[in-house]
Amino acid sequence: MNTSLRKSIRPGATIGIVHIFFVLIGFNMLVAILFARVSGVKQPDAIPAPVYLMAYSITMGIWAGVAAAQKRKQEFRQVAFAGCVAGGFAGIMAGLLEFGLAIILVKNINVRDVLTVLSANFIKGTLFGMQPAMGVMVTVMLFALGGTLGGALVAFWNSTPFQAFLNRGIRFTKDSVQKAQGVTHGKNRLLWQIASISLLALAVVFLPLNWGSYWNYVLGTVGLYVVLGLGLNIAVGLSGQLVLGFIAFFAIGAYSMALLNAPLPYHLMWGFWPALVLGVLLAAVAGLLLGLPLMRLRGDYLAIVTLGFGEIIRILLKSDVLTAYTGGPRGIQNIGGPTIFGRPFVTDVDFMYLIIGAMLLAMFIYSRLQNSRTGRAWLAIREDETVARASGVNTVRYKLLALVIGAAFAGLAGAIFASRNQFTGPEEHSLMASINVLSLIIVGGLGSIPGTIMGAFALKGLPEILREFENYRLLAFGALLVAMMLSKPDGFIPSRRPKFQIPIQPETREAPKEQDHD
Amino acid sequence: MIDYIIRAKEVTKTFGGLTAVNAVDLDVAEGSIYSIIGPNGAGKTTLFNCISGFYTPEQGDILFKGKSLKGSSTDVIASRGLSRTYQNIRLFSNLTALENVMVGQQSRLRENWLDAIVHSPTFRREERNSIVEGMKWLDFVGLLEFSNAIAGSLPYGAQRRLEIARALGNRPSLLLLDEPTAGMNPQETLRMTALIRKLRDAFNITIILIEHDMHVVMDISDRITVLDFGEKIAEGKPGEIQTNQKVIEAYLGSGGAALAQKYQRKKPQ
Repeated sequence: MNTSLRKSIRPGATIGIVHIFFVLIGFNMLVAILFARVSGVKQPDAIPAPVYLMAYSITMGIWAGVAAAQKRKQEFRQVAFAGCVAGGFAGIMAGLLEFGLAIILVKNINVRDVLTVLSANFIKGTLFGMQPAMGVMVTVMLFALGGTLGGALVAFWNSTPFQAFLNRGIRFTKDSVQKAQGVTHGKNRLLWQIASISLLALAVVFLPLNWGSYWNYVLGTVGLYVVLGLGLNIAVGLSGQLVLGFIAFFAIGAYSMALLNAPLPYHLMWGFWPALVLGVLLAAVAGLLLGLPLMRLRGDYLAIVTLGFGEIIRILLKSDVLTAYTGGPRGIQNIGGPTIFGRPFVTDVDFMYLIIGAMLLAMFIYSRLQNSRTGRAWLAIREDETVARASGVNTVRYKLLALVIGAAFAGLAGAIFASRNQFTGPEEHSLMASINVLSLIIVGGLGSIPGTIMGAFALKGLPEILREFENYRLLAFGALLVAMMLSKPDGFIPSRRPKFQIPIQPETREAPKEQDHD
Repeated sequence: MIDYIIRAKEVTKTFGGLTAVNAVDLDVAEGSIYSIIGPNGAGKTTLFNCISGFYTPEQGDILFKGKSLKGSSTDVIASRGLSRTYQNIRLFSNLTALENVMVGQQSRLRENWLDAIVHSPTFRREERNSIVEGMKWLDFVGLLEFSNAIAGSLPYGAQRRLEIARALGNRPSLLLLDEPTAGMNPQETLRMTALIRKLRDAFNITIILIEHDMHVVMDISDRITVLDFGEKIAEGKPGEIQTNQKVIEAYLGSGGAALAQKYQRKKPQ
């Protein structure tokens, strides 16, 4: 019982720390505002009604409960109890924080030089507008309630009838591989898929309309970095070619869009879609051209050559000689946006939908390729190129293919990026940007799609969220990265191998028949 | 007339000043189990690497099913039906056992990346066959229950067998096994010997193996070639090799050979 309690307290403590962090940067208010918007309040105040903050507390509690209840094969009541303990513990930590905040409020201590969000109104709001003691108690109760709910949810999910419901229809060898692969990825994968797809669907429909221009801009950038990260992941995570100057392909996409669709320097004004297609194609061709001389290189040497390639592109774009053609250091302004059915895209919301579309397309192509002959060839090359080749993998072909498809992804992201910002310049495509993309896929977990999303969010989104820390922003960001890599050296969400379950029936249990080669 | 699946003529491979393989001839009959033995550093693995296309010999030619292997890269050679395993196991250790076998089938699959994106009928058919056949090969080497295990996490003996399953993925007509029983205990060695024999008997796969365990070699080989310092010093049936003076000398030195002769004379019939 003692160890069981300790096991529940640990995730509770983790969520408690996350919650404290959230409150200190004002993220709890943001979530509450989001809840308010989603539930129909048109213009919520900066400090929304207490009920939305309560909803936030319950959500955090559920998170703690789910974290505590996972990997437990116990009966319903025990799992729910574990969730309750975890939620309660997180709640106690939240309560302690609120106690501290209350002291700050009463004694009128000024902490806003460091933590800008902690205004008197904010603290009152966090206490649900109640007396401090009351607020603390309600918080603990809400967290515990959420934890119990989370535990119950997991218990229900793991319950035999529900699992049977999930597994119905995907049992054993159906004669389609889709089915075979569906089984195959196992329950956890399915759980993840259902959860992420439904979350994504919700996000796609509601969020861009609700979270305002600033967040659309920030998350749009995150989305484009997801596309970019997936492209780099094909080259690095799947086929194992360490490409350092990857942003060059992004630049090629961006400049294609810029040159074909801006008034200066050429006034071609092809429109968004042809420019987008050409940008993707040009990036792919650049990938092919870069790839040809790279085929004999491996590891560090490959990294150095691609690093050089990235710098060449940036310096060319910046050079005085080409100023007449590429706008030089000043870049290109007034790049046009797309039009769909006669409706021009102007706002960040419009572009957010476009970016979500690009993201879904990239994720779709990536996941389809990952579990195919092509994906396995890439992985084999990553693992041991010599042996892959001797096993019949045409390594040159597949390495080139990885570079071409990866570059095309980058070109797509670059073209949309330039069009949305209505500007592109050489310094947007610096080495730092390449390193950023590489870091995000490593932090997220090499080769994994959810990892790439997490990584893009952590590296492009977090710095924005952390703006509340002002001067300490990059310090906190760096500390987070270090902590993340120490606790999860394989990345935040490492890629998993597919599990296939096609049992061989006893009666057909025989070795395959030899067929002649031609 | 015997059909030879491999005919190597005067194959020579040098590294700098060292001649690793010197004018070696090798004729391997189809459907046989052929062993290459010799002391450490005799050039056995180098000869293997020449046959499987890892090295290009400076002189001589190797015919596989009557056609020269000269200038073919290893993937082309693999697609023509020649597979191999490695002395130090070289699996794709972060992939599952089944995926390893499915990589072995690469040269036979007919789906490309566009098929994969749209899940075309070709893709579905090829993937299904690939999975099912991969499972059967895993079953054949006794690793069915490990099909979803990460290859690098398998026990040593299982990794050796998985390498064989992967090599079988492209339905080879010739299989090169580089020390398949190295580091195995007696039971595992027995199982491996049975497996090799079954491969030949059930699927008519010709097998060339490098092996140090003389019990295994003498037990399963149809013919044996002995290399020493890069040169072929003997070839023949197991019985002939056992009594060959040069071979005994190569293994035991001339003093040892004399001792061995004395010992053999004393031995009662």
